[in-house]
Amino acid sequence: MAGVLVYIEQAGGNVAAISRELLGKGKELAAALGGPLNALVVGANPTGLAEQALNFGAATVYSVADSSLEAYTTDGYVAAAKAAVEAANPALILAGASFQMRDFGASLAADLDAGLAVDVVDLKVEGGAISATRPSHGGNVINSFSFVPDKPVVALVRKQSFAEAPDGASGGKIQSLSLPATTIRTKVQGVSAKSGAVNLTDAAVIVSGGRGLSDKDNYYKLIPPLAETLGGAYGASRAIVDAGWVPYEHQVGQTGKTVSPKLYVAAGVSGAIQHLAGMRTSRNIVAINKDPEAPIFRVATFGIVGDVNEVLPLLTEELQRRLGR
Amino acid sequence: MHIVVCLKQVPRDNSVKINPDLSINADGIEKIINLFDEYAIEEGLVWHEKHGGKLTVLSMGSDEWVEQIRRALAMGATDSLLLKDAAFAKLDTLAAAKVVAAAIQKLGDVDLVFCGRNSTDDESGAFAPALARTLGWAQATYVGKVLEVDPAAQQLSAERHLEGEIETVSASLPAVVSVIKDINSPRYPSLLKIKKVAKITPPVWSAADLGIGTITPVTTISNRVPPPPRPSGEMVDGPDAAAKVKKLVDKLLENQIV
Repeated sequence: MAGVLVYIEQAGGNVAAISRELLGKGKELAAALGGPLNALVVGANPTGLAEQALNFGAATVYSVADSSLEAYTTDGYVAAAKAAVEAANPALILAGASFQMRDFGASLAADLDAGLAVDVVDLKVEGGAISATRPSHGGNVINSFSFVPDKPVVALVRKQSFAEAPDGASGGKIQSLSLPATTIRTKVQGVSAKSGAVNLTDAAVIVSGGRGLSDKDNYYKLIPPLAETLGGAYGASRAIVDAGWVPYEHQVGQTGKTVSPKLYVAAGVSGAIQHLAGMRTSRNIVAINKDPEAPIFRVATFGIVGDVNEVLPLLTEELQRRLGR
Repeated sequence: MHIVVCLKQVPRDNSVKINPDLSINADGIEKIINLFDEYAIEEGLVWHEKHGGKLTVLSMGSDEWVEQIRRALAMGATDSLLLKDAAFAKLDTLAAAKVVAAAIQKLGDVDLVFCGRNSTDDESGAFAPALARTLGWAQATYVGKVLEVDPAAQQLSAERHLEGEIETVSASLPAVVSVIKDINSPRYPSLLKIKKVAKITPPVWSAADLGIGTITPVTTISNRVPPPPRPSGEMVDGPDAAAKVKKLVDKLLENQIV
């Protein structure tokens, strides 16, 4: 075992940002492990993606192309990855931490009897040993994982954990691998975009509302306009999702989405521990609440004590004026 | 058909502490069924009611867990099973999946397993896929709607609710399905049913019962620390809401936050 194998995800036909991050960090880790930085592309026709991965610094890009690999399936993609693992014999396999990648990575690790760390925010190699850092318990515990030495490690990495690899690398090669005979037991019948899909996990700004807004009408009157002014998405506390004001898609917290935007505005959200679990790692937090003792103020960068129904329209107006929007 | 629902015991909230031996200290926090597993129980009940047979709730844990297993029985599960052994104490997720897989294999006639999408304490979502792979079964994770379970055709179809899209899949049985929060509304057990199951003690299987010897987890915890404290924030004050808002926007612009 030596080096690193990065599973390349695509976004709109290009190497996804998370994969560029993994190629960036992977280069450093591969050197520390005394092996190459390799990559894996899987699909019906992943040649374009493979060429791009070379450009971002992979030494060998293993390409598994098969008409049965048009859409992600656990059986097909794990079989493809195992063929690449056999060819590359990596010490560390890196992929993102989206739902699909969790399905993929946990399955691959189970098949390989490998180490597994999900939601990784940092990776180190010291004296040839890999360690991974991941939060758990809603961010209240930061875990360091270590692994037995004779097994590969699968690490699924949270977005925006590492710097992206620069492009312009040269000298790598593409190696085609054929898909081993595989029975695909879970087949994709169709894919549709979620209506009104909010990719909260990708948003740079999130404006969330809670019970302090008094009712559903106020939520829609006050939260989306502010989110729009800031070019962001809108979220919600569990309380108002459970009350039926806002669809579950928008829920931030322990049983909803975990987000880490540049700016998180919590409006009328008290800051129950299960909500904090989903947003406490946001870079900046603005809290607006009429209760000065609300726990949300303990994690806030800036806090305003006041009625959200009065403060929010003023805030939206002031931002529109000052930002010229 | 025989449906199994996997349950995990978790603290109600995550305000946990870290013991000197790096284990999690959840003293004083109520232990509950992992929230996503409640949806798994309900989904299991829906298909059990349609197709009959058995619905077994299966969990790994200690005797203090029996109360919650009874709650699942009161909701309508027909059978329960507790996997308990000192050897199960420090397992990583993949090793835990191996133990549960051994129990499901020992049950012998299981067609379908429901799990929650992840536990609210560990939050990895690795258990269901690892269980499916260890069993050598089909899987459908992050399921927001089960469209059909057809025991005669040995097939199910379901919607997987991913971040930005919905995937409709069909899978062969036996299969492992992990469910998300808005798949259903878990029922509350009636007082009558709670009374009825109050004396039931789940059968207990140990590592020896499952034919499992020493388990060496591949992944171990080498350190655990609380998160670094957030830099202390600033309350923005002023004579009225407008003044506070103006001051806040000044600060957001000054610090290039917007």
